[in-house]
Amino acid sequence: MRLTALAILAGIVLAAMTGPAAAQWRPYISHPLGFAFAAPGPMKIEKGTYEAPVAGRHDTLVYAFMDDNIEYKVIVIDVRDKASESATILGEAQYQFQNGKKQLMDAFGRVDRQYGRKLTVDLPNNRGRSTGAFYFVNGRIVTLQATVLPANGDYETPEMGRFIDSITFYTVRAADEAIELPPPG
Amino acid sequence: MRRWMLAAIIGPALVMGTLGAHAQGAWRSYVVKELGFAFAAPGKVETSVGTFRGAIAGPRQTMIFKSSANNIEYRVTVMTFKQAQAEGATILGERTFMFQENKNTLMDTWARVEPGKDAVYGRKMVVELPEGKGRTMGAFYFTKGRLIALEATILPANGDYESPDPARFIDSVAFNVARAGAGATELQAPKLE
Repeated sequence: MRLTALAILAGIVLAAMTGPAAAQWRPYISHPLGFAFAAPGPMKIEKGTYEAPVAGRHDTLVYAFMDDNIEYKVIVIDVRDKASESATILGEAQYQFQNGKKQLMDAFGRVDRQYGRKLTVDLPNNRGRSTGAFYFVNGRIVTLQATVLPANGDYETPEMGRFIDSITFYTVRAADEAIELPPPG
Repeated sequence: MRRWMLAAIIGPALVMGTLGAHAQGAWRSYVVKELGFAFAAPGKVETSVGTFRGAIAGPRQTMIFKSSANNIEYRVTVMTFKQAQAEGATILGERTFMFQENKNTLMDTWARVEPGKDAVYGRKMVVELPEGKGRTMGAFYFTKGRLIALEATILPANGDYESPDPARFIDSVAFNVARAGAGATELQAPKLE
């Protein structure tokens, strides 16, 4: 009887261990950009552009991660030349994030001394669900976006929230072992 | 006979019209050119200086334009942050957070004034005031170094909390002062100390 119970328990443990392995979450920090966050999986750095009617065209720097069919992105949009219109430019970026999508949440996002907003949307054509957080820091829009793809399908996963809420703008709050991000260049 | 009937109809209509105009206050357009905005409000608009304190915004003097009609209070509050324009997004966020803190939020949505590249993005909110003190609709913008808040409060003495007048006030704001209209009354900003 005791042996049977042990065998069942061992079986359950083994089954749990052989499931899809979630990547380890790592802390990251950028001293030049003034923020820290945590994300799972290997990091890719991408460069792109952001364009909007008020903000105009601007370079973007993207720290991208992918794990368990969830995309995690920290997007930094350099709008230092228009920093005096930060409230409108940030509002425009938030508006564009939800424009044409089904909005599920729109709430205050307050981190340290930064007031921003957190939004969750369903992407069109069943392409998944995204949660985004938007802040304006040192002349830059800093947005964290986590997208649960249909291949994952767990649209209530706490991983999106874990990523979004890992942001800090006080470097003293960053983990000691945080990995320094390559400087924007 | 026909004259008598006409007089009977027109007389009360005139009296009621006059009373109505007094009770509700005629809506007028106003422009504050030195602060770069225009709005419309009923009743007599008066200016004053007030104070505000936010954890991020700090202590501030405010410029207030306010009127009242039919137990609805209309107020435009302006604060200047010329040296902290790059902090506008956070200052605006703090102001909107304070507006709804400890109140029942009924609406919290986008606000956009002016089209295209001239757009100014802000937020519109409706809250119920604690202890049955009424309902306030607010719109908040930060542009050109100024935080501009429009608030309309329906007092319990009015009681019509679905009144369209707060929205009429809130949505009258323009940051392109040319849109104020030729007949707009120009207001002078109160002098800060």
